[in-house]
Amino acid sequence: MTSRGKRQLGESLEGYAYLLPAGIILIVFWYLPVIISFAMSFGNVTALMPLDEMKFVGARQYQEVLGTAQFQQSLWNTINYAIYSVPLTLVVALAAAMLLNQPIKGRNFWRTIYFLPYITTWVAISIVFTYLFHREYGIGNWLLNIVRVDLLGMREARLEWLFEPRGIWEIILYQPILGEKRGLVPPMWGGMDNIISGPSLSAFCIILTSVWRDAGYYMVIFLAGLQNIDKSLYEAASIDGATGWKRFRHITIPMLSPVTFFLSIISVINALKVFVPQFMMTPTGGPDNTTTPVTMYLYQAGFTGEWKLSYACAVAYVLTVIILALTIVQNKIFAKRVEYGH
Amino acid sequence: MSALAVAFKLIGYALAGLLVIGNLVSLLSISMGGFLTRDPNRVLNHLPRWSKSFLINELLAVGGIIMLLPFYWMMVTAFKDSRTAAASPPIWTPIRYEYEVVPPGGGNPIKIVELEVAKQKGQLIKVVPVDKYEFKQTDSGGYVSTHQIADPAAIFMVDPDKVVEKKVINLNLDNFRRAWYKPEDSTRGQVNFLTYFWVSIVSSAIATGGTLITAALAAFAFARLEFYGKNFLFYLVLGTMMVPGQVLLIPNFLILSKLHWLDTYAALTVPWLTSVFTIFLMRQFFMTIPTDLWDAARVDGISRFRYLWQVVVPLSKPVFITAGIFDFLNNWNSLLWPLIVTSTPGRRTLMVGLQNLNEEAAAEFHMLMAASCFAILPVVIIFFFMQRFFIEGIARTGLK
Repeated sequence: MTSRGKRQLGESLEGYAYLLPAGIILIVFWYLPVIISFAMSFGNVTALMPLDEMKFVGARQYQEVLGTAQFQQSLWNTINYAIYSVPLTLVVALAAAMLLNQPIKGRNFWRTIYFLPYITTWVAISIVFTYLFHREYGIGNWLLNIVRVDLLGMREARLEWLFEPRGIWEIILYQPILGEKRGLVPPMWGGMDNIISGPSLSAFCIILTSVWRDAGYYMVIFLAGLQNIDKSLYEAASIDGATGWKRFRHITIPMLSPVTFFLSIISVINALKVFVPQFMMTPTGGPDNTTTPVTMYLYQAGFTGEWKLSYACAVAYVLTVIILALTIVQNKIFAKRVEYGH
Repeated sequence: MSALAVAFKLIGYALAGLLVIGNLVSLLSISMGGFLTRDPNRVLNHLPRWSKSFLINELLAVGGIIMLLPFYWMMVTAFKDSRTAAASPPIWTPIRYEYEVVPPGGGNPIKIVELEVAKQKGQLIKVVPVDKYEFKQTDSGGYVSTHQIADPAAIFMVDPDKVVEKKVINLNLDNFRRAWYKPEDSTRGQVNFLTYFWVSIVSSAIATGGTLITAALAAFAFARLEFYGKNFLFYLVLGTMMVPGQVLLIPNFLILSKLHWLDTYAALTVPWLTSVFTIFLMRQFFMTIPTDLWDAARVDGISRFRYLWQVVVPLSKPVFITAGIFDFLNNWNSLLWPLIVTSTPGRRTLMVGLQNLNEEAAAEFHMLMAASCFAILPVVIIFFFMQRFFIEGIARTGLK
């Protein structure tokens, strides 16, 4: 062996040695579980029986998972959560970042304030917001009645907030919060009621909480992205007479697209994995199970009642496949439209 | 009305006046400008500087109030009693009720705590003087129950109609003390928030320290060493970021139970001794360190290992602090994992303790808010001291 080859071998061994500590943890607690989980998802393991007595039931497990109404409902809840919370958070964050990007004093002060909710723990935040949305002594109903009674002169009314199973669009359109009369939309939705009526008010309270908590985080990243945009682009645009909306549409949005792309991928993945706010704010799964996300369904199936571990593994794999598929789709759709640098 | 309340009112009026004047003048200058130039867009772009900054700051302030209101509400409620916490319309100052009654022997009225509610008219109720309102203590020093009075002889009966009630601004830490010992009420043994804090701090610190070491080693290998299969291994490691933690939950639970690690610090820390995201973050940073440094070090005969610890790590301080903060917060905030792998009270983390308390005392919001302060305030205080690292670190992660 030549001396160069020897040196390369030495470097290779050293490289593996450096990877070893992290590698052991990853192998034992990440790669091995992924395989065990996959194998278990085809079996019939519960916590009450030893693992080696597992019988293979094949793909029946997955059929059972996909066919269970409760699972379908939880999947729909998770998707609804992602559909509403991700765009809302991103829009609020971008608006705040645009404001902070103006030449003002005290930018760091506001940035700190807006970022503050993000560092606090979901467990405590959920307790506080459960209180804010309380049907009897929450701030939510108080604000609602300030609008109703003091501004509009209507009689006092209460919303159930975290205990309200009706969809938000159903409440707004069909039984308006602000009006006494019934709304314009007929009670029959043509079988599309789930989609049209939107997430239940209960789920929407949780969505609002997540927007409140996460917007500051995305704002900080957007702000860094905005400050990275070359000022000369704006100057050139203003020479061409482009102002306001046009500058936003033709400079800010394209130049920000890598950041937006990164954030949308991260936030969709996080939204699909959401667990704590629903678990804390609606421990029983919300009115008519309208808040239970897939992860909470998994917890209920695997770690309560009959401890159906295999079943829960199958649920987890379905969720993984959905996340992977969505990420790939997002990559395919957006990657072409993202403009990297200049 | 107390001096404090007057001061609050005056500040409120001053702020409101400022807002009204600023908005009026801004709107006036916008409309005048629009009237003169007939081009609203142009006016918006050429607003006087102060007016623009006033409007922007005003919008930011509205957002800021929304961001801070839940914190304010949490802290105010933590100083209330169950009656003012459940008041409608809500009370915005830390107010609680004080009850006074003339004792049976006569004399000056004394402050009391009501221990029960009269079920029918004319029924006498048990009360105890405020200074005797202490709870029985166990041998280990913890409080047994909030309803067992240490000195039963101090309890006396009064007619509820004779009790005079007053609203007072309250700034004592009673709720915090009761919430701190509240878990003691359960049958789960001698545990209070001190235990929860201890478990949380120890397990988060071990996990964070371990992560920084293992991640620095791995990141250095990926950034600066050449070895067979490097790219493949790197993508294999990155791939774990796509796997939702829930897939790992059940097998990891089984692995830990096979190792007899359930309910130990090992269960709380060992699986979290590395983090793929931290590896990635550090690798990106290590790549920016010029290779000339390594060449110079090699001339001096320094080994790679010493080069890593004595040159690379000191140069990468910011990324270590950022990654450390994130790893610590991730461990500190995690709920599902400690909930599943621990079952005895002595191994519960702060988040699990809080979740338990929330289940037990769901209606006592003044207590829950005090307990929430335990979980939120330490992190917020640390954040204010280290916010540069938090925010700049995050801004960096988004701009690779």
